[in-house]
Amino acid sequence: MSVREAIEAGTLPDRVWIYSNYHCNLECAYCLTESSPRSRRRSLDAVSMIAVAHEAAELGFREIGVTGGEPFLRRDLAATIAAMAAILPVTVLTNATQFSGDRIAMTDPLVGLPVRLQISLDAPDPEPNDELRGPDNFAKVVDAVPRLVERGLRVRIATTVEPGRLSETDHRRLCELHRTWGIDDDDHLVRPVLREGRADATGMGARFERDQLPPELAVAEHGAFWSAFGPTIRGDVADTHLLITRTILPLATPASALLRLVEGRPQGADANIGIR
Amino acid sequence: MALVDLIDAERAPLLVAHLYENGDPGPIASALAQVPELCEVALPFLGASLGPGATGVRLKELVILRTSARLECRYCVAAHTAVALDVGLGLDEVHALRDDDDLDAAFADPRERALLAWIDAVATGRGPVPAGVTAAMRERFDDHEIVELTNCIGVTMLLNRFCTALDLPVGASVAERLTSEGFDIR
Ligand code: SF4
Repeated sequence: MSVREAIEAGTLPDRVWIYSNYHCNLECAYCLTESSPRSRRRSLDAVSMIAVAHEAAELGFREIGVTGGEPFLRRDLAATIAAMAAILPVTVLTNATQFSGDRIAMTDPLVGLPVRLQISLDAPDPEPNDELRGPDNFAKVVDAVPRLVERGLRVRIATTVEPGRLSETDHRRLCELHRTWGIDDDDHLVRPVLREGRADATGMGARFERDQLPPELAVAEHGAFWSAFGPTIRGDVADTHLLITRTILPLATPASALLRLVEGRPQGADANIGIR
Repeated sequence: MALVDLIDAERAPLLVAHLYENGDPGPIASALAQVPELCEVALPFLGASLGPGATGVRLKELVILRTSARLECRYCVAAHTAVALDVGLGLDEVHALRDDDDLDAAFADPRERALLAWIDAVATGRGPVPAGVTAAMRERFDDHEIVELTNCIGVTMLLNRFCTALDLPVGASVAERLTSEGFDIR
């Protein structure tokens, strides 16, 4: 079975993730990549990011996800995303703290393109959100999101919580909040903290097995991995337990290795733990 | 300590995780595991090149130990001193292959002497192999044997330089055994 056939048959997910960089202005308690302002950048250059999008489209993938670190710390990010969005729709995961005041203009190149910003918001109140994500994070997000929506950008809200810890009331209040911004329930996802990176050091999150993670292909500067949750960092060292290949381009090299791994899975091993 | 991080079982990349199923796969595989797509094709190739073949384990070990000694690879000399003894080479033969003793005194068989001259010429020479050495080899070995043994020399050289450059550590059990049997761990 070719990679394209596997995607069409649903054997392989149709999205490729790209880790654009690993540094971040925040230092969240559960960060899988131990990102912080002091992190090694591990940036994937723009030419490679665009090449990944091209080759992904040729192989039959249908969507690109960009994550980090905080992608918008890169000055070339918006132009790079715009170039990628000419090839495939792109979802960018961001903490939305770089869009205050006039700085929101950095998103100009993305307006009108098939680009979706996925923004983290973990609670309907500042205190519990900021406890995990840092001072003033809640205020910055609630300031940025409606202005991004007003500019015509599609925004999705991601709530990351300790498994089972989001009360029905808080869930409902979060939904009321995003609906006031014109964001549908379909564009709000709730996902568990996974015990990797800083979450492992702080004792947070759910332990998981490889086969509980969707086998999405994720590429970073240092290799290609099984799932967007593969290229994690522990003690400033890149994890390798979900490493597929060090080669990222040609993308067919890790994509076909991923397919081989997926096809070799025992039957019934595709249960997942609700991660999107 | 090796120059690079030797990947342990807990961090084994997916394509090569099976190598760790029966315990530590050793420093060569653990270093190659840094690049799984390379490791998964290199190890079977190394196994086919250095393992049992048409020429038999004695000649293969003679090639590997002699080549490693000439290239002064501490790791491969130690590991294959142990393997050579295990597959039945005599103590005097092993010492001679390691250059501890005289090679001519330990090997009388003309076929093995032709091979030893071939190993030394291929592993340490530059340019064409001297005509006399080539002629002796052709007289005593079939084409497929020459190919298998010459490939074994080349692959051993690759590993010698790989292990030496990366400063791969000799396993504690091998070091202990060789010391107890009077070998010098160079
Ligand atoms: S979770 Fe996201 S926003 Fe928080 S430190 Fe990590 S990369 Fe930055």
